[in-house]
Amino acid sequence: MILLLIHKLSLVAPAWIGPLMVVASGGDTSHGEDHGGDHSGPPHLPSLVGMVFGSEGWAHDWINVLYSFFIAVVFSAVSMRVYAKRQMIPGPLQNFMEILVEGMYNFIYSILGKETKRYIPYLGTLFFYILAMNLLGIIPGGHSPSTSVNITASLAIITFLYAQWTGLSRLGIVGYMDHLAGQPRTAVSWALVPLMLPMHIIGEFAKPFSLAIRLFGNITGEDVLVAAFVALGVSAMAVFGAPNSPVGIPLQIPFYFLGILLSTIQALVFTLLSTIYILMMLPHEEHH
Amino acid sequence: MEFQSMLAWALPIGVGMAAIGSALGLGRAVGSAMEAIGRQPEAAGKIQTAMIIGAALIEALTIYALVVFFILQGKIGG
Repeated sequence: MILLLIHKLSLVAPAWIGPLMVVASGGDTSHGEDHGGDHSGPPHLPSLVGMVFGSEGWAHDWINVLYSFFIAVVFSAVSMRVYAKRQMIPGPLQNFMEILVEGMYNFIYSILGKETKRYIPYLGTLFFYILAMNLLGIIPGGHSPSTSVNITASLAIITFLYAQWTGLSRLGIVGYMDHLAGQPRTAVSWALVPLMLPMHIIGEFAKPFSLAIRLFGNITGEDVLVAAFVALGVSAMAVFGAPNSPVGIPLQIPFYFLGILLSTIQALVFTLLSTIYILMMLPHEEHH
Repeated sequence: MEFQSMLAWALPIGVGMAAIGSALGLGRAVGSAMEAIGRQPEAAGKIQTAMIIGAALIEALTIYALVVFFILQGKIGG
């Protein structure tokens, strides 16, 4: 029951923040290459939104926001429904959700230990939300919102703020500054503070940057790879005397499996690194 | 040589060079992790977690090169 409560809380709150931040920042510009007329950006597979609304205009500019809102809506609806109809003897859907939540809980527990309960709502959502965003690119008609650096950056900024807030609230102002200064205890480490303080501050700001770029680069690379092989398969039909054929040789099939693997690993890595960043901000007695 | 042809040569080579570095690093990291698991199979879970984090950090460097590729790809024209 408690796990389900966590799940409900987790899936309703943070999944909305990412797209909202992009909305607040004035829309999505990931398709910057496409705006300039004769573009030669990376190839993209057609998506359902693109097929319905055409390759320009409102729906095209906001496609990543639309798809990530779609995921957030589905997640919220399913988890709220399961939570409202929870039973002592779970049905199939509730059973499935409990497997997901418990698996995530046990995984995070192996890193955070007894602090897990406080941080699992954010971290669990992060994993399933990013996983869904990554896998949406593999579904025909779908499009990975995580191929937009704006979406991944907003998730990384939330992680950054959450980790800093965790540090401030759990360590206190003094403890937080102490942590940033590298916990000086001896004369030598006090002398090193002018060196350690800027290094730690730069390190804190580098973390969200690297989180965002890693997810964006991996998923974009994977989607472009699939799209490039689809294009290759279509143009290879000319060899068999069928140029301009609407369907090609399915050369992209092996890369779908690579895509599934990469999507899962990248979602895991994002969650794992967020967990580690939060862990580093928690009070720790034994340092180094 | 125009800058377009320069970019068309330099970008794939740059990504390839970054990939060589990452490949060496990943080979070492994963190889050591496998050895450690072989020596201590009961610690496989912890080693795997640490290995995935390390692999992600190493591989991020190639991804930076790939991102630069995507950014500059539009300038090649064609």
